[in-house]
Amino acid sequence: MAAAIPTIAAAARLIAKKELSPVELTRACLDRIHQLDPRLHAFIHVTEERALAEARAAEAAIMAGGPKGPLHGIPIGLKDIVDTKGIPTTCQSRLLADNIPDQDAACAARLNGAGTILLGKTTTHEFADGGPSFDLPWPPARNPWNTEHFTAGSSSGTGAAVAAGLILGGIGTDTGGSIRGPAAFCGIAGIKPTYGLVSRAGVAPAAFSLDHIGPMAWTAEDCALLLQALAGHDPRDPASANRPVPDYTAELERGIKGSRIGVIHHFHEVDYPVSPATRRGIDNAIATLRGLGAEIRDVQLAPLQDWGACGSLISIVERAAAYEEWARTRLGEFSERVQRRLMLGALVSGVDYVQAVRRRRELRAELQAAMADLDVVLTATQPNEAPRIDTVPVWDTFAAPSFMMPFNVSGYPAISLCSGFGEGGLPVAIQLVGKPFQEPTLLRVAHSFEKATEFRHRRPPLLT
Amino acid sequence: MPPELTDQALDYLIARAGLSLTEAQKADLKSVHAQLSEMARRVRKPRGRMTELAHVYNFTEEDL
Repeated sequence: MAAAIPTIAAAARLIAKKELSPVELTRACLDRIHQLDPRLHAFIHVTEERALAEARAAEAAIMAGGPKGPLHGIPIGLKDIVDTKGIPTTCQSRLLADNIPDQDAACAARLNGAGTILLGKTTTHEFADGGPSFDLPWPPARNPWNTEHFTAGSSSGTGAAVAAGLILGGIGTDTGGSIRGPAAFCGIAGIKPTYGLVSRAGVAPAAFSLDHIGPMAWTAEDCALLLQALAGHDPRDPASANRPVPDYTAELERGIKGSRIGVIHHFHEVDYPVSPATRRGIDNAIATLRGLGAEIRDVQLAPLQDWGACGSLISIVERAAAYEEWARTRLGEFSERVQRRLMLGALVSGVDYVQAVRRRRELRAELQAAMADLDVVLTATQPNEAPRIDTVPVWDTFAAPSFMMPFNVSGYPAISLCSGFGEGGLPVAIQLVGKPFQEPTLLRVAHSFEKATEFRHRRPPLLT
Repeated sequence: MPPELTDQALDYLIARAGLSLTEAQKADLKSVHAQLSEMARRVRKPRGRMTELAHVYNFTEEDL
């Protein structure tokens, strides 16, 4: 079954040559959904009839005039906090159990316009927050590498679905690591683009100044193809950047000879030491990148805990503000985990928030200075392999500092890539970080790393 | 050490936030007061009163 799962790039080439039928590709994904999703819970809502109708229409158009682009006929999924016209969008919450939006979110509309085939809405943590909840109408997603283990979140369903080949790519959102965390635990690629590059219009907020939308797929190249469709100015999003969109695949094959890569050793060696397997993955990745011709340097930043404190305080307050009305009137309808998150707003003062925002400017300036002579920096994504799903702490905000939050605080683009496998057979990952709007460089380094390693040849064992 | 969060102070903060919490939830919230205080300590650095916050704004052509 695993051998039958192409990347988006490979599928696009075959579709363009009329050697792969979008209808057959869609049916293959739907077959895997029927077979595997009862164990994975990656989907809240499967849009099978619509998907087959879209696939037939795509196939007819391609046969008549060729594909309109590399995403034409590609099966995808959308995290269920992304509004979809006429399709239930629950945010995995009782409060929106019957919600059917009357228009598409910007990212959904852009992917639809690019010709993708929507297979359904993928599982999330409730309102993209709180962790795996067992007290909601929908169960949390399971990790395809071992279904007793956590996917991370909150883009948990998209991560699991891509890893298991239920879709070829999809949308995640990332406020403190919700694209990159599941990408790491599920062994796929996931990029949080620069803040403002992808419109947030029509996507449920978690924390306005930290929220990002981005693609998740099997490879960095596939992320580049999805990002090409997603990026661009949207006046409906006040944070949306009004600047030209580059070609994200044009430089992928250029290699990284002479690239300058900084390693934030103290994040994963001192501030919060990672597991031996994660450390091995990072060290091997550094050796691989050096072998490809990159120049490796050490980078010093403020301790990971400072970035975490800044991001967490901002996140707590912005979330409490966004959901204040429901927290006051319908708190008991949220999962216990989200109730806990919303309660936290009561203990953070307005002055705490403003000091966090001031700290954010200092931290961003620090990263800007550290990267002045670098192309990308590297650190861990997660500190270890995915834990068992029943061991995730209820107060995970305080359990360990996040390696991902620094790049939500700074708004810099960051991608998670599989860098090996741990003792439990689950993936471990590295995180590469670029400069603002320099996704072409970030994706080139990521693609070069993936091509030089063998981790993209291995799929979860439940597929074999 | 952060200042102690008394039950009366906690009740005030919860009421100010407009929340209705059970006794168990209040205890749960109180249990993370120290961690939140540590975060609040970490974002305070010697920076002086002239350092502006990050989301001050400037007018652009689109505002005119």
